[in-house]
Amino acid sequence: MRLAASIRGTQYAFKSVKEVLAKANPPKSGDVLAGVAARDPVERVAARAVLSELELKTLRENPVVPYEEDELTRLVEDSLDETAFRAVAHLSVGELREWLLCAKTSGAMIRAVSPGLTPEIAAAAAKLMSNMDLMTVGAKCEVVVRANSTLGLPGRLSSRLQPNHPSDDVEGILYSMREGLCYGCGDAVIGINPATDTPESTAEILRAVDDVMRRNRIPTQHCVLSHVTVQMKALELGTPMDLMFQSLAGSEQANRAFGISVPLMDEAWEIMKAKGSTRGPNRMYFETGQGSALSSAANHDADQVTMEARCYGFARRYQPFLVNTVVGFIGPEYLEDGQQITRAALEDHFMGKLLGLPMGCDACFTYHSRMAQDELECLEVLLGAAGCTYLMSLPVGDDIMLNYQSTSYHDIPSVRRLLAKRPTPEFDAWLAETGIMDGLAPGPGFGDPKVIR
Amino acid sequence: MSLTRDLMCELRARLGASAAMPPPPAPRHVEPLSVPRFPSLPEVTPLREERAQAVPAAELASPDVAVRRVSPLRSRPNAFAAEAARHTTALVGIGHVGTRYATDVVLQFQAELAVAHQAVDTVLPEDWAQSQGLLGLKSRVSDHREFLLRPDLGRRLDEPSLAVLRERAAKDIDIQPILADGLSAVACMGSGKRLLDAFIRECQSRGWSVGTPLCARFARVWLEDEIGQTVRAKVAAILLGERPGLGTGDGLSAYLVYDPKVGNTDGLRNMMSNIHERGTPPEQAAKRLALLAGAMLQQRRSGVSLDLSAIAAELGDAGTTGYRAAQERVRLVETQR
Repeated sequence: MRLAASIRGTQYAFKSVKEVLAKANPPKSGDVLAGVAARDPVERVAARAVLSELELKTLRENPVVPYEEDELTRLVEDSLDETAFRAVAHLSVGELREWLLCAKTSGAMIRAVSPGLTPEIAAAAAKLMSNMDLMTVGAKCEVVVRANSTLGLPGRLSSRLQPNHPSDDVEGILYSMREGLCYGCGDAVIGINPATDTPESTAEILRAVDDVMRRNRIPTQHCVLSHVTVQMKALELGTPMDLMFQSLAGSEQANRAFGISVPLMDEAWEIMKAKGSTRGPNRMYFETGQGSALSSAANHDADQVTMEARCYGFARRYQPFLVNTVVGFIGPEYLEDGQQITRAALEDHFMGKLLGLPMGCDACFTYHSRMAQDELECLEVLLGAAGCTYLMSLPVGDDIMLNYQSTSYHDIPSVRRLLAKRPTPEFDAWLAETGIMDGLAPGPGFGDPKVIR
Repeated sequence: MSLTRDLMCELRARLGASAAMPPPPAPRHVEPLSVPRFPSLPEVTPLREERAQAVPAAELASPDVAVRRVSPLRSRPNAFAAEAARHTTALVGIGHVGTRYATDVVLQFQAELAVAHQAVDTVLPEDWAQSQGLLGLKSRVSDHREFLLRPDLGRRLDEPSLAVLRERAAKDIDIQPILADGLSAVACMGSGKRLLDAFIRECQSRGWSVGTPLCARFARVWLEDEIGQTVRAKVAAILLGERPGLGTGDGLSAYLVYDPKVGNTDGLRNMMSNIHERGTPPEQAAKRLALLAGAMLQQRRSGVSLDLSAIAAELGDAGTTGYRAAQERVRLVETQR
């Protein structure tokens, strides 16, 4: 296989599909750190030209981590839907891009092909797309899931309520949670990152949140984002748990650094199906983010977009209720500024949706990256327009425990109103009943935490 | 021919297009503006809303209702905010204007953000170490942007610094203290020297041999491994500016490691965060860090396997490997009239 292109008489040759994938990626500081980025903008276009002509079956035959070395590659290869794959195997990546953008290609058609796509194929398509391309296809994809409520219906934008506290003070968590609810936030999940990773503290927080949800009959889901093994023990204590959480990475080696593996996640999912407190059928919650593989030196010389797509290949095995990329959390050495964070958010949303996941996004930045608050607010609107399933919500966007800037309680009703999007139908009815919202407009109870008992 | 056209021709040819690019379009004849360009289009009937807005200018000048003063309806911080403040530093009970923040909330937030960004942007001056009587070192990073983008370079000393360290620093010691900029030179220049001096005094009072006081620029936490290894220290302690959070640009963190050597990972370190006047003051932090170092010297290990149960009460939050401690929120914007 010859992988070469010439631009203005200069010949660009590539040694492997993996190198083509990496060099086709738009500029990312993490790819420079990994030493896999294109050396200049023209070489990047040459790589894209080569990539556009590769057939999808070539990408399937050339995963960025070999089958023999990696359980995620084996998982994807062994469980790929052959019928769906045969429908697209003959296409080149350039043709796949055009098929996805074509007005005749509906969300349902994409959903039918999705189980036949490998993560490398999804990543390859993203590399040939502009931000507007990514949004256009993302908005087309429909992924509807259900736990206590129904997420991902057309015309909806949901939110995770994230009332974290640096010392797990349950009262403090509940104050923040009540504030968020009265701005219409929390229809995707009320999810708390705990400071202490023990089954007892996980159980204590879940019980407190469960009480408030029952007392106020709030149609949503709860989750405490401790390590999956801790949540499994908390379930054994008889704790109510609507969703089970875990961070995922894109290679077996990177997942080992997270303390997880495919067999462990299989076991967790089985326990959750037996003991989780939702009616389902979707019960799992995953978080990902570009750069996580490289941060544990387990990226196998692949670029961070492709490694990110591989997380989604892992996630889809468990039919999750929520998946979100935590896009700016990892820091400027992976995504330097607002432009790179914006690009990564739209890529991740597109790839996740294309692979059939209910994809949300934690649009955020750390204080040492070059992203302005205004850029973050713009990104929320872009994600909403791209059909992103849910965004995060925190008081003034400030995570007082994890020390980063995300999207805020006030942003959720603002973006919904701008884009005429509603929360899940169950939550929408509850907001009307409590007077928090009057359709898309603030109701008499808006911003008044006293409406939550 | 334009450069763009050249480029496109190349690409098209390579992609197998049979024909070259079509010739550039001839300049088109543009009809004069006076001629109606779309004479056959029907007249547009405005929607109801559009009609409502189409108010004659005369009416706009004299509205039915005389408006003397516009006053927005805003919710103000309330009893809920006061109750919540006893349990959390999160900005809750802040009210809203429409779906957005009140102006004072916006200003408080912007001030907190600005303080954090200013701390990140400040670079430790080259001669600062010398002015403080410290031996100055530098990592392999050459400028501020590279420092943010290349943590790998910030974990190793550059050649001249390595030579200086080999020549001039004391060797075979119990403790090697290192002050560094980390992600906040503001914190380093603020209470950094106080913390370093207090920590050295605490170590000396326990009879340990303390290395030459060092100060490193463009330094990441793991730089303590190469430094400690070079001077053959039993314990390396790096005290450096922590990643700023909203409203807090002056916090220091300390990371201690037993048997420092290149390749050590975070599981082998113990840390203490939030060292500043509103958190743990430097003198108190120094005492706790010396206790921690003592445990390392005694047990000959550090990190997750270090047993701190005997001194847990005295240690406070030193010795953890977890998240940074809670930040106190202070009102940042006060205007004078």
